[in-house]
Amino acid sequence: MPTLKIDGVEVTVPTPMSILEVARTLGIEVPHYCYHPGLSVVGQCRLCQVEVERMPKLATACNTMVADGMVVWTHSPKVEKARRAVMEFYLLNHPLDCPVCDKGGECPLQDFTLKYGPGESRFAEEKVQRVKHAVLGPHIVFDAERCILCTRCVRFCHEVPQTGELAVFSRGDRSEITLFPGKVLDNAYSGNVIDLCPVGALTSRQYRFQSRPWDLVRHTDSVCPLCSNGCNVILDVRHRQRGEELLRIRPRENQAVNRWWMCDEGRFTFGYFSDSARLRVPTWREGHPTDAAMAHSPLGPRPVAMGFDDLLLRLARGIRRIVEADGPEAVGCVASSRLANEELFLIRRFFRDILGTPHLDFRVRPVQFQASDASEDGLLRRTDKTANRRGARDLGILPGAGGLDVAGMLAAAANGRLKALFLFEEDLVREYPDRPVREALGRLEILVVSNLLPNETSGLAHVVLPALGFAEKEGSFTNFQGRIQKIHRALTPHVASRSLPEVLRDLARDIGRDLGPIEPARVWEAIGEAPGPYQGIAWKDIGPLGLLPEESREPRAKNKEP
Amino acid sequence: MISNETKQRCDGLARRYPEKRSALIPMLHAVQAEVGHLSPEAIEWVAAALGLSAADVMSVASFYDMFNLERVGKHMIYVCHNLSCSLLGVERLIRHLENRLGIRMGETTPDGLITLKRMECLAACGTAPAIQIDGNFYEQVTPQILDDLLDRLRDGRLHAMGKGPDGMSGR
Amino acid sequence: MTFEKVLTKYQDIPEYTGTIDEYIAHGGYRALPKALRELQPAEVIEQVKRSGLRGRGGAGFPCGVKWGFIPKDSPKPKYLVCNCDESEPGTFKDRMLIEEDPHQLIEGMIISSYAIGSRLAFLYCRGEFVYGARVLERAIREATLRGYLGKNILGSGFDLDIHLHRGAGAYICGEETGLLESLEGKRGQPRPKPPFPAISGLYRSPTVVNNVETLCNVPHIVLRGADWYIGIGPPKSTGPRLFSVSGHVERPGNYELPMSITLRELIFEHAGGVKNGRRLKAVIPGGSSAPVLTEQHLDVGMDFESLAAAGSMSGSGGVIVMDDTVCMVRVGEIVSRFYHHESCGQCTQCREGTAWLHKVLRRIEHGQGRKEDLDVLLDMCDNMKGKTICVLSDAAAMPIESYLKYFREEFEAHVRERACPFEGKGAF
Repeated sequence: MPTLKIDGVEVTVPTPMSILEVARTLGIEVPHYCYHPGLSVVGQCRLCQVEVERMPKLATACNTMVADGMVVWTHSPKVEKARRAVMEFYLLNHPLDCPVCDKGGECPLQDFTLKYGPGESRFAEEKVQRVKHAVLGPHIVFDAERCILCTRCVRFCHEVPQTGELAVFSRGDRSEITLFPGKVLDNAYSGNVIDLCPVGALTSRQYRFQSRPWDLVRHTDSVCPLCSNGCNVILDVRHRQRGEELLRIRPRENQAVNRWWMCDEGRFTFGYFSDSARLRVPTWREGHPTDAAMAHSPLGPRPVAMGFDDLLLRLARGIRRIVEADGPEAVGCVASSRLANEELFLIRRFFRDILGTPHLDFRVRPVQFQASDASEDGLLRRTDKTANRRGARDLGILPGAGGLDVAGMLAAAANGRLKALFLFEEDLVREYPDRPVREALGRLEILVVSNLLPNETSGLAHVVLPALGFAEKEGSFTNFQGRIQKIHRALTPHVASRSLPEVLRDLARDIGRDLGPIEPARVWEAIGEAPGPYQGIAWKDIGPLGLLPEESREPRAKNKEP
Repeated sequence: MISNETKQRCDGLARRYPEKRSALIPMLHAVQAEVGHLSPEAIEWVAAALGLSAADVMSVASFYDMFNLERVGKHMIYVCHNLSCSLLGVERLIRHLENRLGIRMGETTPDGLITLKRMECLAACGTAPAIQIDGNFYEQVTPQILDDLLDRLRDGRLHAMGKGPDGMSGR
Repeated sequence: MTFEKVLTKYQDIPEYTGTIDEYIAHGGYRALPKALRELQPAEVIEQVKRSGLRGRGGAGFPCGVKWGFIPKDSPKPKYLVCNCDESEPGTFKDRMLIEEDPHQLIEGMIISSYAIGSRLAFLYCRGEFVYGARVLERAIREATLRGYLGKNILGSGFDLDIHLHRGAGAYICGEETGLLESLEGKRGQPRPKPPFPAISGLYRSPTVVNNVETLCNVPHIVLRGADWYIGIGPPKSTGPRLFSVSGHVERPGNYELPMSITLRELIFEHAGGVKNGRRLKAVIPGGSSAPVLTEQHLDVGMDFESLAAAGSMSGSGGVIVMDDTVCMVRVGEIVSRFYHHESCGQCTQCREGTAWLHKVLRRIEHGQGRKEDLDVLLDMCDNMKGKTICVLSDAAAMPIESYLKYFREEFEAHVRERACPFEGKGAF
């Protein structure tokens, strides 16, 4: 366990570490480009050089291991002179693209030049010219003149998805990172090179020219909802004056879940938040649903926009009527594993405890019937494309005694035993293309569908409730490992919207019952009390990197920041 | 595209090293010798043979001066333009060469016969100026010697590799 | 002074073509049996250490000491790699050795492999040596057929194979870790050191990389003993050295001499003096990476220490002589053009610096220099030294510093006159 001094601070290091890693843990900035903790160490950018006493030359902090008795200075005059010189070399051929470069404002080249580099250029030659805004693939644009040849992108493609699309061609100052002719940068993780690139050489096609970093005023921690891996993310939201909008999703480091990465699907799929087709107001439709279903268009009475209070009153009346006539078993609920833990808990409370129906299930696709969810690609993507299959299981979103599963509920709807069905964020028509779903749903007296966007199933519903997306909620998902991870509200929900907990609370009240508190922390009081995998857990126990329930049983030394 | 003979040679090359990736540069030499230059197809063939990505192989090939990623002429003339050869007048030789063939260094004659390439030190400084034609050294070259060599090249009378007046070693 | 040739003794044999029979007939393959039968590997290392043999490729590192770094008890295979990537401008001795007496090298490689415990040796031959590679292939075949390579060499129980491996045109593959990368089938980009090749080299196994000429010395040391070897040349620069002399001399060529010789003697006695009776203006003593020397330095000894003390280096032994028709700015342009072309591109200072250096020098040579340029050049050179993975960056910078040191007024004249004073005349 070597003890060393770095900038006068003595530190003992428990495992073999490089000087750079020690500096990082102490919060000492050692500027660098080519080093990244998730990639191989190459030591070629030469920016991380520091002074080590008794060593004749400056040492690269990234690949010099600390030794007992080492004395390191990260900001000595010798270091500063070397840094200034390296920054000058970086800028020689760098184009003055800042005004048109997406990286401006969050650019380590700008930052380190400002801090450590020269203020003026001594370069009087012609700069090397290269290709600009070359499309490398579906998500990435390349501005070769900006590239500083740190090779992070090359190493990433080789080492993480192991697809090796990018490589350095030629040598010396003719070196250029490109693709093999005719090939495309389209591995499922290509977007990570955007984060890795220290300059504006590799940028997001989606985000290009959309915003400046200083207009992104909210950087909200959340979790990707598109599969059960639960990659930790940051949602970058542009401020209200320019139009509040989610403009960018980036991965957030969580070594236990997604390391530093996320897949392209999760990164780039969020346009639906501002999709004009999005369901915004609840609607109510009278009349025989079968007509509309058969004709594939709303013949008969059209859906009418209605305020939540009105609509929920009517719905409550309808449900009460059915329950009084045919018992709670005439009501069923399919609650997607896309929903957050708190929403699922309240759904269970409403349908199983308050209404008293045993028909509750989340399992729509075959993969959800398996005990554990398999990896899709050996990296981050998993085969269950919903965020919270584990939460749904752990919270018992399953049929009670004598209860029907989803297939059973459809059959019961078809033969008239099930009179009312609530579908939360599952498009059953699309999920079961070879079953008579339309006909089954068409026989229901009350079909309630909650969704973000309209689809075939919502087209058949009597009541359509506009749902909120993950960026518009506070709550948590449980990933495939069983890790409970919080999502936070990044976007202001539509003015007319109401969250699912609010809807259930109001519906309960309208049938004369009390759902109980609906804020996440209060919901977790109830979750924590009940026996089950989450017993004893409180909302505050779930830190930014999530919580594995077995950890919570031990003394709370976990859940530290990285 | 690649002959069986070259394929077998490449197999043999891959087998003789403790790690087969070491065969990459020898294989590129073999393939280039047959195809004339390292076309994208040639590169992809080599990549597949060694289980590497095409980008990786192209990255390696593009690092080295002797690998031609573009089409080149039937004959390759390397002219060293480093210090000792320059001191002994190689730039005059280069001008002569360019005038005679009507192309600049780095270019190929329109009939596809000859490509000219500036090279760095070829280790023939004692017998400067030095050139190579298709891998054969010709040293202490004057414009007259050059003219003679080019005539013989055109006529197909340029000797294969060997010692003697055609291919002297630096001594 | 006549010096008893060692490495180039074969040149005295009429019509010698370097076949194995000729080599044996004139005393070859006698050191090998002596080593295998009379000496333990450690003893061979000891002898080479004691002999003081220093690397002849450019770095001058003590050969036996390098061999001693190989861990004796490592379970990994050990590799000997011969560096025949001779590319240092002004150097042409290794080419001569492999073309004219290949078995001297082969014998040296076998003994060296025995010493370090290598069972598989590689001969990395620069790609442009097409003829040389063929000669070496033939020699390896001959040696194998004769039982000097292969299994159980001379009944000693020692096995060795030598693989010839051709490069493809990159000066940086002469740097030992750049060579190893190239040998592994990659871009020839040098590795950060530590770890050094003796610990983690080829395929991450213990490896020794030695220059051709260095290895050619080994059979002679083993056969005639370290004491004999020490008797040649000064104490810290023992043994015969091949100097490649080129440029403006009457008799350019390779000269085998002890390092006690002076630069003056080498140029004026052996190489015939400056061509056409002109005045010597400048001389590079150790390949283009070596800082330039002038008339005032002619009495420097051609040994490692003396040349270093004179502000230059022994380097590869490539001596380039320039007379007074030479424009030193143009020399700077040509030399910097070389490093610009050869930089592998990994390290920022080298990738950008070698290009910048060249561009500025080219601009000055073409009469577009500015007065700030000279000090910017010096600062640039300073920033390029001592901060990169390998020393190509230093090799590019130090010569330019030396041209500015000794010929600054010539650079200033270019800037002031906005033209090259040698334009239309002069050597180039």
